[in-house]
Amino acid sequence: MANCPVCKQPVDEAAAKAQTGMTPGGAKEVDPKMGTRQFHDGTWYYFDSLECRNKFTRNPDGYLSGAA
Amino acid sequence: MDFAYSAEQEALRREVRQFIKENVTPELADEANPESDVERPRGQGPMAAALYKKIYDRGWLGITYPKEYGGQGGDRLTQYIVEEEFTRAGINITLGGSGAPAIMAAGTEEQKQYYIPRLIKREVSFCLGFTEPHAGADLANLRCSAVRDGDDYVINGQKMYTSAAHMSTHIYLMARTDRNAPKHEGISIFLFPMDTPGITVRPLWTIQNNPTAPVGTTYGNSRTNETFFDDVRIHKSCLLGEENKGWRVGSMGLNLDRVGASRYLISVRRDEDIVNWVKNNRFDGYSPAENPAIRDKIAEMWIEAQVCRLMTMRSMSIVERGGKFTYEGSAEKVWAPEHGVRVTEAITQMLGPYTTLLRTSAHAIEDGVFAHNVMGSFQSGINHGSVQVMRDQVARRGLELPSSRRPKKVEAK
Repeated sequence: MANCPVCKQPVDEAAAKAQTGMTPGGAKEVDPKMGTRQFHDGTWYYFDSLECRNKFTRNPDGYLSGAA
Repeated sequence: MDFAYSAEQEALRREVRQFIKENVTPELADEANPESDVERPRGQGPMAAALYKKIYDRGWLGITYPKEYGGQGGDRLTQYIVEEEFTRAGINITLGGSGAPAIMAAGTEEQKQYYIPRLIKREVSFCLGFTEPHAGADLANLRCSAVRDGDDYVINGQKMYTSAAHMSTHIYLMARTDRNAPKHEGISIFLFPMDTPGITVRPLWTIQNNPTAPVGTTYGNSRTNETFFDDVRIHKSCLLGEENKGWRVGSMGLNLDRVGASRYLISVRRDEDIVNWVKNNRFDGYSPAENPAIRDKIAEMWIEAQVCRLMTMRSMSIVERGGKFTYEGSAEKVWAPEHGVRVTEAITQMLGPYTTLLRTSAHAIEDGVFAHNVMGSFQSGINHGSVQVMRDQVARRGLELPSSRRPKKVEAK
């Protein structure tokens, strides 16, 4: 279980990546309600919502250092 | 200088119209419309698939592509005429996106032989993997990485607004292959199937979702996506063009994709719908077409649409003559979406509050298409390169201004 770097809510990484369907082209689909993630400096960070991720995108260093 | 169509071109237009009259029903247009059902792939319902087969058999798909790759070796104006007629009927026959023109310009012979015929037959479709959460208008800031490992590349990262990722067979991806290079260098383009292990698609719903937009809506996409890549391993033959030279390939593809009818076509149906509605409706014996204020707005809108059309014709003419196409597509990409915003605002003023009702309302006008167009017009200013980015390209490529940068802050004394 990860914590959202922005709001500190727990995010289930496995659930966020768990396959819930497949596109006609064969790609894995996931449940958008289970959170999202961002690839930052070689590491995946998990968020409970797009809103939190948007905040993180604007100031990643601030959230990772705890200064934001 | 002759702006008229030739007798052959007029005959082709009549032939296409007749074909549409005989083959395209409202039910079929609804099935072929990718926004009418978010779960159904583009044009893959049984009726739509049969229609596209018939259109292909007529030689009306991929008209401008060489015959050796399954096209017709035809000219852009012929393609424009065919696309314009099908757009009026709510049927999209474009190859969709910058994949095909980029492959023609930068692909290997093997890539051309594989992809172009399949794109024309609609057996292959690309989604565009360019934008990232922190790399949109500043696309060269992208961080999705492709690391060489023997004969493969391993891709990790994510893309935003991969609009057709849930319907496409392949992705046209821009990724960073050299982290130490200047940001416009060290970027490469890759083409690979969406069923490659490690690809995940997560839906993002737009303002056109619930209810989905009706057929004929300009930019009615109800769904876009974010797409994740976890150790996605692809063969080196998936590289399009040279490694680390992808910025030029991607820019060229986007620019070439803007040549042709698409910028004008997004206006055609919307503009004609309102003209026809004004002509064909009467209220207590009074036609809106007789109202001086409405006539004024309609005439203004038509003039703007003709500017849009002429810009499109100019772009096609430049490319047909083998001329240098630099800023013209960007100029179209500013004019057409902003024309759309002005038109949809004018329609709302002309027809009043009922134009704001979506298709789920019993009182919606024309299945809510005018209301959905208001939302779509704003989307079209952002999609596929925002109007702000396009203006910057006009300034740099057309007017030869230097690249923009912020002025230095002046400390107050």
